Amino acid sequence: MTDLGPLAVAFSVMVAALLAVLASWLRTARNARATAPERVPFTGGRAPSVHAWSRYHARYYPMALLFLAFDMEMVFMYPWAVVFVTEGIVAMVEMGMFIAILLLGVLYAWRERAFEWT
Amino acid sequence: MSPLLDVIAAAAAVAGLLAVGALALAIGDGVAGAAVAGRPIRVLPLIAAPFARAALAARTGSTTTERPDGAGRAVAPALLAGLAALAMVLLPLAPGVALADPDTGFVVYSAAVAFVMIAVFLHGWSPNSTLPLHGAYRFGAVALSFQIPFLLAMLATALPAQSLSIVRIVEAQASLWNVVREPLGLPIYLVVGLAVGFWGPLNLPDGDDLAGGTSAEDAGLARWLWQVARLSMLVAVAALGAAAFLGGYFGPILPGPVWVAVKTGLLLAAMAAAQHLLARVRIERFVGVAWVLLVPLALLNVFVSGAFLL
Amino acid sequence: MTSVFRRMAAAADAPVFALAGAGMRWAVQDLRLADGVTLVDSPRSASILLVAGELDPRLGEAAARVHDSLPHPRATVVWASGPDGLAGADAERIGHDADPVAAARAVFRDLVLGRRQSEPDLLPDMDPAPWRGVGPYGQGGSGMTGGTPYGRPMAELGPDRDGLRLDVLPTRLGPFFAPLPAGLELDLRVAGDVVVEARVTGSEVGTSEAAGRSTFVRALTQPQSIADLELSRARAHLRWAAEALRLQGLRAISLRALELARTVAPGDSAAVGRLATAVQRTGVYRWSLPNVDDRRRSLLADARLGPVSRACGRAEDERLADPAYIALGFAPIADVGDGVAAVWRARFGEASQSLDLASRAGSAVTTVTGTTESPRGRIALGDAPTARALELVPALVEGLEWGDALATIAALDLDLDELAALAGVTAA
Repeated sequence: MTDLGPLAVAFSVMVAALLAVLASWLRTARNARATAPERVPFTGGRAPSVHAWSRYHARYYPMALLFLAFDMEMVFMYPWAVVFVTEGIVAMVEMGMFIAILLLGVLYAWRERAFEWT
Repeated sequence: MSPLLDVIAAAAAVAGLLAVGALALAIGDGVAGAAVAGRPIRVLPLIAAPFARAALAARTGSTTTERPDGAGRAVAPALLAGLAALAMVLLPLAPGVALADPDTGFVVYSAAVAFVMIAVFLHGWSPNSTLPLHGAYRFGAVALSFQIPFLLAMLATALPAQSLSIVRIVEAQASLWNVVREPLGLPIYLVVGLAVGFWGPLNLPDGDDLAGGTSAEDAGLARWLWQVARLSMLVAVAALGAAAFLGGYFGPILPGPVWVAVKTGLLLAAMAAAQHLLARVRIERFVGVAWVLLVPLALLNVFVSGAFLL
Repeated sequence: MTSVFRRMAAAADAPVFALAGAGMRWAVQDLRLADGVTLVDSPRSASILLVAGELDPRLGEAAARVHDSLPHPRATVVWASGPDGLAGADAERIGHDADPVAAARAVFRDLVLGRRQSEPDLLPDMDPAPWRGVGPYGQGGSGMTGGTPYGRPMAELGPDRDGLRLDVLPTRLGPFFAPLPAGLELDLRVAGDVVVEARVTGSEVGTSEAAGRSTFVRALTQPQSIADLELSRARAHLRWAAEALRLQGLRAISLRALELARTVAPGDSAAVGRLATAVQRTGVYRWSLPNVDDRRRSLLADARLGPVSRACGRAEDERLADPAYIALGFAPIADVGDGVAAVWRARFGEASQSLDLASRAGSAVTTVTGTTESPRGRIALGDAPTARALELVPALVEGLEWGDALATIAALDLDLDELAALAGVTAA
């Protein structure tokens, strides 16, 4: 077993256990077939006029794009963190320049009101 | 014992730790709520309440909606609890002792936190109902915003350890805890920790303005499991926060595992208090603060604490 | 084993979804302080449906649908002396004077222990669209995109201010949506999380007799004790605070406000001040409440909505026309800042001021002038602040994010009982 073994086991055991509990409850608790009025989604007592699933306008999409840029940066920062102390000032300056450019992006997004949408 | 039995025992231990922590948080939440409301704190009923709620949940039947994604509804709480377990396995309990100690422990933890977005979104999307759907998309904005400050706050703890292993991160705090070495780290981590568990001031996907949000269509045990999974996630966040910033098992007199429990309990108490003392943040306000304040502060934390290491 | 398990379940707080009929809003709110029951926001998490008071006939169908949304085992407790709006329910009926908590507990216990049958549906088991023989749900098309499963079409594309054409989701909120007063129905069209169009489609909660007459409504026709009137005002503001705090996720402080609303006495300004400080410390003014732009502020300032208008800078108050109030040295509190937070501060400030007035008023009575200042603004025969506020709701919420829209509506303190009572006064 590698070091990742316990991780995989813990994750899958937990997921499987919860699914099993849920499945046994669905079988044993009083679960008559749901009737039409029981299935109506709740918004306060009136029946909805449309299905909820829709082409939802996620208005934070400019922020999501910014997130992509930063998530890439994190990929570089993982190994950087490990060698930071041994590489010393070189690592610090190089990453500092990279981050400074990215932070300019945040400033630009802020100025363009990418973090608010109303 | 065979390695297989070992890992199964480890999984059981993780489930036990999460259950104890979740129960402690549920009770602590009740105590904090009563204290803030100025109502009498009756200890025994507060301890009994989570058990009674569980029994009632199991006694209650299920509900469904028109054309839901049935598989998604079932998987969402299981996935969230599984992610909590995944994070908890990494927790160092005593010097050199963790249920798993991969070199990439920090990356595994980050992945678990990143996938919380999938679990919550799935939970809100699957009922095909308006209020949960809004909660789901709202959590999209929250999760994309907390991700980077969370990673940066944790990353700063990897610098002194020169490793991404959580065990090494704790070992590197033998002389000086990270909460002192990098004082900005823990506050940022706690803020985003509340967002990871959508708890208290950052309970946006399941907020009261959505009548329960992603949980609005949940009944019975399905609802209870979602609450338990969320509490488990908060326990994992608190436990690993205690390891990464509060020196984990280090501490005088008491044995290491006790210190782990005490420090985790401390962070859980802070979470229980935040639930009742802080108002829910507007979604745009959180997104703005996360990017314009928390990201630069977390970077500052990385570079300043890094400079002291050179 | 099973019986131990069931006894444990029966020991839990009974989760209750309450439908507050006319005149029962505060009585239902008081149940939040009761031991043994928990008011919940979604019928899916309830075991007991509590119908409090008389429901307007228009709400019958919605009440039945909420009833059918509860998971089994479920039961209904009707807490009303007159006829109720839930015809056909196999409910436990208790009189207006009975204790709803004891009744709900007893019914819940029997239900969980299996001594009481779960109630069947009230609405017929009939899909919204007739079976058309094509597709697994008879939708007559091919799956979600081709037809109208369950008779419900998909949302349609609509233009948006940022130039993208995405779906605009029509949403019917209410009449039993917890963040709104029971009986209020809003038809929203939301694009993403932003309200692009709002319409108030229902605001009748019951007859004016059932809605009852508050001290403020009675003050229109006969003099009232200023001490009583101002104490009622402070209590109304604190009860509003309990609901508004809950909407911002502050359930514990909400209970504290509710407890204070029930127990506060003339002269207790300091207690209100302490509550206001605790509220301020939650950061609710800093990061929870939306701003109000100039256009909306001038709409609110002009509508004579009491603390709302005064928080928008308009120092109008009907009490200024009353010599008895002038003699007490009354001066309205105006212009406390901007945004919804200012409305919150204004209400706490006025609650405090009212308790002070109540303690100094002695036996002074109001002068009948045909108008009165209620906690929600200027009232007159047939003219309710809630009616004026409801007219503004579309203009107030269009363009706001979902949570901001509901926080803005909550700040108005819509009171459908007062609306009904004033409509009744005209007729009389």
